[in-house]
Amino acid sequence: MAILEVKNLTHTYGGNTPFINDAVKNVSFTVEKGEILGVIGHTGSGKSTLVQHLNGLLKPTDGEILIEQTNIWDNPKEIRKVRSKVGLVFQYPEYQLFEETVYEDIAFGPKNMGLSGKELEQRVLQTCEIIGVKEEYLQKSPFDLSGGEKRRVAIAGVMAMNPQIIVFDEPTAGLDPKGREEIIDVIFNYRKATGATVIIISHSMEDMAQIADKLLVMSKGELVMFDKTQNVFKNGERLREIGLNVPIVTRVFEALQKRGIEIPCDVFTVERAVEVLKRIKAGDPNA
Amino acid sequence: MDNIIEVKNVTYEYSTDQEIHTAVNDVSFGIERGSFTVILGHNGSGKSTLAKMLNGLYKPTGGDVFVDGINTKDEKEEIEVKRKVGMVFQNPDNQLVASIVEEDVAFGPENLGLQPEVIRKRVDDALKSVGMYEFRESTPHHLSGGQKQRIAIAGIIAMEPECLILDEPTAMLDPVGRREIVDTLHRLNKEKGITVVLITHYMEEAEKADRVMVMNDGVIIDDNTPKEIFKNVEQLKAVGLSVPQTTELLYALKQNGFNINTDVLSIEETAVAIAKSLEEK
Amino acid sequence: MLKDITFGQYIETRSPIHKADPRVKMILLIVAIVFIFLSKNFFALGVSVLLVLTVMTASKVPFKMYFKNLKAVLPIILVTSLINMFYGDEANGVLLSFWKITITYDGLSRAMFMALRIILLIIVSSTLTYTTTPNDLTDGIESLLSPLRFIGLKSAVHMLALMMTIALRFIPTLVEEAGKIMNAQKARGADLENGKLKDRIKALIPILIPLLLSSVRRAYELAEAMECRCYNGGEGKTRMKQLKVTAVDYVLSLVSLLFGAGIILCNIFL
Repeated sequence: MAILEVKNLTHTYGGNTPFINDAVKNVSFTVEKGEILGVIGHTGSGKSTLVQHLNGLLKPTDGEILIEQTNIWDNPKEIRKVRSKVGLVFQYPEYQLFEETVYEDIAFGPKNMGLSGKELEQRVLQTCEIIGVKEEYLQKSPFDLSGGEKRRVAIAGVMAMNPQIIVFDEPTAGLDPKGREEIIDVIFNYRKATGATVIIISHSMEDMAQIADKLLVMSKGELVMFDKTQNVFKNGERLREIGLNVPIVTRVFEALQKRGIEIPCDVFTVERAVEVLKRIKAGDPNA
Repeated sequence: MDNIIEVKNVTYEYSTDQEIHTAVNDVSFGIERGSFTVILGHNGSGKSTLAKMLNGLYKPTGGDVFVDGINTKDEKEEIEVKRKVGMVFQNPDNQLVASIVEEDVAFGPENLGLQPEVIRKRVDDALKSVGMYEFRESTPHHLSGGQKQRIAIAGIIAMEPECLILDEPTAMLDPVGRREIVDTLHRLNKEKGITVVLITHYMEEAEKADRVMVMNDGVIIDDNTPKEIFKNVEQLKAVGLSVPQTTELLYALKQNGFNINTDVLSIEETAVAIAKSLEEK
Repeated sequence: MLKDITFGQYIETRSPIHKADPRVKMILLIVAIVFIFLSKNFFALGVSVLLVLTVMTASKVPFKMYFKNLKAVLPIILVTSLINMFYGDEANGVLLSFWKITITYDGLSRAMFMALRIILLIIVSSTLTYTTTPNDLTDGIESLLSPLRFIGLKSAVHMLALMMTIALRFIPTLVEEAGKIMNAQKARGADLENGKLKDRIKALIPILIPLLLSSVRRAYELAEAMECRCYNGGEGKTRMKQLKVTAVDYVLSLVSLLFGAGIILCNIFL
């Protein structure tokens, strides 16, 4: 069942903003419950504008957003309720921390939804358990944590609202490899525990190859591809035309193909690459 | 060997709440004039602190740093040391002073008290060398991260430094911006002979360097050419770093019984190595 | 958009007035304001109107831009002229009189005179901001204040200029950041639009604290970056851009003085 449906979404920024060309033109797609959808595109391709529509931060100039078959703008006064259904984690979310303790900060979202007392406490503790915020941190000031930990707490603040869909805008930006892995684990663990639908914007094709079930490719405000990850990465040429690329392993395989070696090109993770090459070496014609 | 920077038994300690932390622990090395060095390390490995000691922004609590023979602790030479060794930081927004590109680039030379005509020429040259000349009258706020970072680099180049230290200059940029910066740095290194020290946690950026140092827990645990460094996949992973996907692939193949040359980095080289290994059955 | 706040006033038309030296423009603005105040009768004020019209035309900025500025201060103009309307010498004739209010011809003309004067002042001041970038204004102010160094205020002048430069540079960045933080907190269910005044003030805390922290962080990083660019408190600092008085400035000054002379002549002889 489609949990999210975007129909002919168009957003134009009013006024004279010749510098920020981040509009969205007639974009339609659907996301199934429990899917992980990757969104890729250049800076300024419209992807950030697109995701800010999903929780009603931006209002479409045209078109509609349906969550569980209901148009989120049916009742504009209730738009805040949509924000607990669709969680949005912005880039560098650690810069939104403000409370005195980690606990209070994570509780901010659920409190805004009207939770209190035992229920609130339970919600915060539950979220912390799922994504591994250590209990001893809860009474610390969020500003005393390290960069990676701060981000984890900030993400927990959105997850604690128990959204059915959670959107991440470049969740690993600025982190080192270890930090990146930790945040990706957080996302996976959350999905496993809650069955939530996940939408991730990322610049790393390698990360996308590992995480996403489906990919949505944006360029100049338009949706240029929307398909299963492996199908999108088969179109290396098209991706390069719009200034994107395929994962590095896939590029190695493309280079092998150019050298006349018969080899499948739908390889985009190291694990799959090794598997395929092993079979070829063993002389398996069905590799 | 002609070293522009000489680091001798340098230690940096700082204290928080009665605890004493050692960010950099008894490190020694030299940076050869005209070379391109990359210092790799995860967040908190001490690489930023080390970087800030290379131009005297931080003073070592133990040992000495010499820039062109001048001790960075010499207060009289404070400005000269900073002129010789320029520094670019992570957040491009927080290092631009003026709201017009060329005026920002002029900030350094103006501080040096140069004549207006000299400043003008240096600003134009610096902007050309980073490919931002046509944006000289723009406002930084309207530029992309990569462009802003190139302006920050131009602002340092305009002081005609001998060495350029960059503290994670690409961490906040998208892939396009990252490429712009790395390409710019290599060009400055080749064409102007500027010594470059790039601090990063992106392995790909180390591929074309002359030399790579790996930092962990305040010490340098490896110091070699990129190819040699990347061979040590296990060690890199152990200190919270990753290797380029090409290296990872070759390494995985080798573990799976392939007789393969793991001594390569680029996509093309990797394909050649795999092809060769497939041929010999 | 709010982001372009620093450019809010400046309109690029490449007119001769745009090219003039900001210092000359600032001094001439003061001179013009003095002349407008000195205009004692309608003839003198008429010359002031001509002066302002000339400047408006020469600036090539669309007239409607000037009127837009006027709209904002319309209440002030109305109130001032209304107050003036009720004072006047009844000996010069009464226009109408009812209840305790008497409006005289004298009062009416005085009200019109005041209104016109304020309008002229506003338009002539907008000319400066429409034709001069904030950066040029900063340079101009620094240069005009530089004589203060003789009384030992050199670093004060330099600091003021640096502060203005940095403010111009960072206002759009901080405005953008405030927007981002606001969106992030809204995404966490924060309600910024509804509720009583007290609740709405309270709702600002999640925005102000992150904004404050980030400003402090930015300030700290900027200070380090400036130090790395050999900043030394402005000691021995030179400037790349030298303000230069050119032919345009002489023409501009001459025209203003001619009008000024006209105003004084009208004051004396008419």
